[in-house]
Amino acid sequence: MDKSEIRVGGLGGQGVILCGMIIGKAASIYDGKHATLIQSFGPEARGSACSAQVSVADEPIGYPYVKNPDVLIVMSPDAYTQFAPQLRPGGVLLYENELIAVDDKLPAGVKAFGIPATRLAEELGRRLVLNIVMTGFFAGVTGLVSFEAAENAVKSSVPRGTEDLNLRAFRKGYEYGRELLAKAS
Amino acid sequence: MKLEGFPQNLTLKDGTQVVVKPLEAKDAPALLEFYRALPEEDRLYLRDDVTKPEWLERFVAHVQHNEVVSLIALHGNKVAGEASLYRALHGWTAHVGEIRISVAPALRRSGLGSVLARDLVKLAIGLGVEKMIVQMVESQLSARRLFEKLGFRQEAVLRAHVKDIHGIKRDLVIASNDVSHLWEAMEALVSDFSPTVG
Ligand SMILES: CC(C)(COP(=O)(O)OP(=O)(O)OC[C@H]1O[C@@H](n2cnc3c(N)ncnc32)[C@H](O)[C@@H]1OP(=O)(O)O)[C@@H](O)C(=O)NCCC(=O)NCCS
Repeated sequence: MDKSEIRVGGLGGQGVILCGMIIGKAASIYDGKHATLIQSFGPEARGSACSAQVSVADEPIGYPYVKNPDVLIVMSPDAYTQFAPQLRPGGVLLYENELIAVDDKLPAGVKAFGIPATRLAEELGRRLVLNIVMTGFFAGVTGLVSFEAAENAVKSSVPRGTEDLNLRAFRKGYEYGRELLAKAS
Repeated sequence: MKLEGFPQNLTLKDGTQVVVKPLEAKDAPALLEFYRALPEEDRLYLRDDVTKPEWLERFVAHVQHNEVVSLIALHGNKVAGEASLYRALHGWTAHVGEIRISVAPALRRSGLGSVLARDLVKLAIGLGVEKMIVQMVESQLSARRLFEKLGFRQEAVLRAHVKDIHGIKRDLVIASNDVSHLWEAMEALVSDFSPTVG
């Protein structure tokens, strides 16, 4: 069975869970696949580690836990240190490159793609949409969810009135990802 | 900055067709003409002398630097209305935007002002603006009505603050619309905290 495992890691307040939720929603509701989501929160609201585990597959998923993700999305140095060693060899690392410095301890063959998501979010008008920039980046680089599905999932997941900015954040991340890919190949 | 969803083709209540779009440098001469044709009475309430080419040059530069977002409505190749959002990109009011709007007298009361203002409020929210204000003279009844319908409420009155065309002092009304609750909802959504999940 073709199954992709994704882990999203960062700090409380960065929107890690929402990022995982949107990916799962895009895959399951809008792309017609199966998806599971497991969320782990830190002990406090702000600044503590939290992560989401998302599995996407064409068939129903029996085991929802993600041990060695195919794709790791990280938004904080701690999440990078904690989760990067678990990446499947040959997997994909997507990281916030103004917050995280990638070292040489990555598993063999991992392809790393960085994006200044916090700065891009600030330039769009709100730091708060950093997770949506990352979500777009994920869709752009990996293609694991379609552009339309992810866009619909963003639109239906964010509060009313904030759709415009969130969609712009999504597209920004997506385009940034597509451009990096084009350069890399 | 590229604004999405434009140009918009509109048919006004009186059947007039207009196109709403963000101001570009090439529209500058038509905008100047529009402002020059506004009745003096309306121009008096504007803070700048909008009939001067120097003003226009500065205005276009502000738009290009994203300090001002400006929407125009074109009727043929003439400007029929203009709405702008002024933002302080730095400092303690960086979350606030001020809206100004004018419609050509011949086309008023056909809904154009409402469309321009509504589009601008949407754009402002999209840009992360948390609070919008608009300054009006007590006697500008249509402006007051228009903004009230968009959720603006009178927040302050500066007594005898402006002089009209006859030298009569009038009150200046500042109405505001605080949209920060939209962002509070987003903030709650990204807090990644659940008291029930450990
Ligand atoms: C304010 C202004 C932009 C409105 O433009 P407009 O295209 O006429 O606006 P609309 O047609 O959308 O009308 C807005 C509302 O005001 C109402 N209105 C119009 N004239 C009115 C009047 N004299 N008294 C009371 N209400 C009036 C309209 O009926 C409409 O409400 P409705 O939809 O419930 O009927 C225009 O009058 C103008 O340019 N005024 C001079 C500049 C100004 O006052 N700017 C505002 C401060 S920045």
